[in-house]
Amino acid sequence: MGEFKVHRVRFFNYVPSGIRCVAYNNQSNRLAVSRTDGTVEIYNLSANYFQEKFFPGHESRATEALCWAKGQRLFSGGLNGEIIEYDLQALNIKYAMDAFGGPIWSMAVSSCGSQLLVGCEDGSVKLFQITPDKIQFERNFDRQKSRILSLSWHPSGTHIAAGSIDYISVFDVKSGSAVHKMLVDRQYMGVSKRKCIIWGVAFLSDGTVISVDSAGKVQFWDSATGTLVKNHLIANADVQSIAVSDQEDSFVVGTAEGTVFHFQLVSVTSNSSEKQWVRTKPFQHHTHDVRAVAHSPTALISGGTDTHLVIRPLMEKVEVKNYDAALRKITFPHRRLISCSKKRHLLLFQFAHHLELWRLGSTVATGKNGDTLPLSKDADHLLHLKTKGPENIICSCISPCGSWIAYSTTSRFFLYRLNYEHDNISLQRVSKMPAFLRSALQILFSEDSTKLFVASNQGSLHIIRLLEGSFKHLHTFQPQSGTVESMCLLAVSPDGNWLAASGTSAGVHVYNIKHLKVFEYSIPDKQYTEWSRTIQKQGFHYLWLQRDTPITHISFHPKRPMHILLHDAYMFCIIDKSLPLPNDKTLLYNPLPPTNESDVIRRRTAHAFKISKIYKPLLFMDLLDERTLVAVERPLDDIIAQLPPPIKKKKFGT
Amino acid sequence: MVQLRPRASRVPPSAMVDEGQPASEEEEEAEHGLLLGQPSSGAAAEPLEEDDEEGDDEFDDEAPEELTFASAQAEAREEERRVRESVRRDKTLLKEKRKRREELFIEQKKRKLLPDNILEKLTTAGQTNIKKSSGKLKEANLQKENEDCDKGSDSKKAKVQKVQSVGQNKSYLALRLKDQDLRDSRQQAAKAFIQNSLYGPGTNRTTVNKFLSLENKRLPVKKAAAQFLNNAWGTQKKQNAKRFKRRWMVRKMKTSKK
Repeated sequence: MGEFKVHRVRFFNYVPSGIRCVAYNNQSNRLAVSRTDGTVEIYNLSANYFQEKFFPGHESRATEALCWAKGQRLFSGGLNGEIIEYDLQALNIKYAMDAFGGPIWSMAVSSCGSQLLVGCEDGSVKLFQITPDKIQFERNFDRQKSRILSLSWHPSGTHIAAGSIDYISVFDVKSGSAVHKMLVDRQYMGVSKRKCIIWGVAFLSDGTVISVDSAGKVQFWDSATGTLVKNHLIANADVQSIAVSDQEDSFVVGTAEGTVFHFQLVSVTSNSSEKQWVRTKPFQHHTHDVRAVAHSPTALISGGTDTHLVIRPLMEKVEVKNYDAALRKITFPHRRLISCSKKRHLLLFQFAHHLELWRLGSTVATGKNGDTLPLSKDADHLLHLKTKGPENIICSCISPCGSWIAYSTTSRFFLYRLNYEHDNISLQRVSKMPAFLRSALQILFSEDSTKLFVASNQGSLHIIRLLEGSFKHLHTFQPQSGTVESMCLLAVSPDGNWLAASGTSAGVHVYNIKHLKVFEYSIPDKQYTEWSRTIQKQGFHYLWLQRDTPITHISFHPKRPMHILLHDAYMFCIIDKSLPLPNDKTLLYNPLPPTNESDVIRRRTAHAFKISKIYKPLLFMDLLDERTLVAVERPLDDIIAQLPPPIKKKKFGT
Repeated sequence: MVQLRPRASRVPPSAMVDEGQPASEEEEEAEHGLLLGQPSSGAAAEPLEEDDEEGDDEFDDEAPEELTFASAQAEAREEERRVRESVRRDKTLLKEKRKRREELFIEQKKRKLLPDNILEKLTTAGQTNIKKSSGKLKEANLQKENEDCDKGSDSKKAKVQKVQSVGQNKSYLALRLKDQDLRDSRQQAAKAFIQNSLYGPGTNRTTVNKFLSLENKRLPVKKAAAQFLNNAWGTQKKQNAKRFKRRWMVRKMKTSKK
């Protein structure tokens, strides 16, 4: 396998934005997550929790509510007062409709999926009809005095519950008038000064309304009489979110202290038919406020200000008890935020609104296996490139030779040329980009840096030849007839002849660049056929299958085509195709090879997968040249240190 | 040294009916008093008395003129009419002035507004479906709009009505910036509400440093806080110290060279 010098990079100051809303779609087992910077991500929970789609953020869009409607349609409402529908095929925003009520605080879709309710800042609840291509305003309900912060439909669609500040109203949908107004007690830790904000309401089919508020209470109300039935004081801080399961026998609430509580409907004694709601399990997986929870049939999902998305499968609901039912914590994005220029040892970091270019430090010392070598020249911050406008950067790339930088937002594409003279850098923008290059989902440079591949969100793939100061459009691969899928991932072969792209529907297309034709699965398959056939026969090692984080990056060693280097968030691995595959008995994670073992044993235990778990958590790993690797890590403590303040916890003895 | 006309002129004409003659006489005498340089005195009664005396000395015993009641009344009425007419004339004059001013303003306003044909198009362009175009497009469109109607409309750039499409020219979208300001202010207010309710006074928040150090405090061997050093402490003092040190070194070098 060989020895490598590894550059450990920790100066990528990446802080993800906090999670604001979470919405679970039962039919497709998908989860939509919206963050505070306006990004909406879609996770496929059945495909190893992979983040398959994302919509980039926008500065003015502060989403406060997210919901799925019938037919896989996603709607969101935010503080700019607009209802936005997302196009999941083309990965852009279909339209944005102003609700004319001021900032939107809450949104709810009826159980039949054809009506949408929006709660606004001015206290009005607006009803919209969902038509096949748009939404249409139907009418206003009675206007309330303060802003409507939470909404919930009764499963039959006849009543709704709206939580506001200090009270909850129950409306009748047909007449639009408020039937009941339930006042909530303000008392918080013995003081009644602060207003009680009802952060979440849920309407059950037996007429019970569950409310969670900022005084730390979970209350059960009877909507027929408008009275309080039961009161649970569960926290000393706000309880900020609530989600009920489809069978209505359990629900989950999230608090500002980071605790998630699970409530279940259990019978009073073992054989009585009377049931009551009992608080069963607390989970402490977060450090900051849990602002959004969702309840899927088998798992509890929570996300909050500490930017982790935690999926906790419930043991009693999971059918097959294997390692699939472990806790998943998704912290890092599954897209690439870093690109590397191998020739000049440069790294390009992508942030939400700017790019940073760093040159790696160098060392002249040598050492043994496992040593840390001192740097003779520190890493250098070369460039800080800011974007204009409120949109977030979708993707960026630097060419392997280091002289071109390209990045794209939702409406524009930027290409820059870098010139290096004696340690100085000068940047030149290439203006007049062609009109078809408006927004790109993935950008990639060819190995010899003469060609630029751009995958746009209309499903087409553009190839552009780069010349000294300008560019020339070479070719465009149009999408196949009938599908408007957008390219998500790109990879180019080292000799520059083949380009592989995968679309949203998980098909892989391979393009021959020399002759500009499209193949399908042919080249990688041809290489992989013998090898993959043996894999299929023997099956992967069981630990390999148990890896719970998806592989984020794969790269090939140019000189040794038998080696594949891939990594995910916790380990990196080099697959050597010439060595035999491991069987279940051998150790998968072999530590540093002991030198005093005899050669025979070493040869027997050597197998194809060489895994190292030294560097975690890994954001990016790549091969720089024959003997050097670069690994970009992002320690979690550094992220936590830059988050907003958490709730104070009083511990005895401090 | 001007002596004010005595009460005679201030008394209303109707009350002067009986004393018509003596009043006019007194006026003449008062004038005489003035010519003779009588000092101005506070009481109005004194000069009258003096004038009376002097008037009597000058003229012979002449019977005062006979003034019939009718003539005095007519005179009084004339006066009244004159006063009323002058007031009316003043009023009409003012009215005219105001009218002229209004017209002037209307004309100025008209000069500043868009030409009539564009205004017509805007008002008859159908439903005002407020559509917000993307950032770049909005700017480009506003620019275009301004270029199109540049009849001295610099000051009225901000007040263009919001419409969906203007006739056949679908190349630009007119937006009212006042609405955008309102929307921004509402969004700001909403964000301030959230910030206040989650992190404002009354919430039980602590710093991240304290939060992460809680564990260190409870260990059997107590450790320091997660971020023990406060690098931002005393920045001004440190800067002053650095500057002083530099200057001291320079001085030291100079003296040592000598």
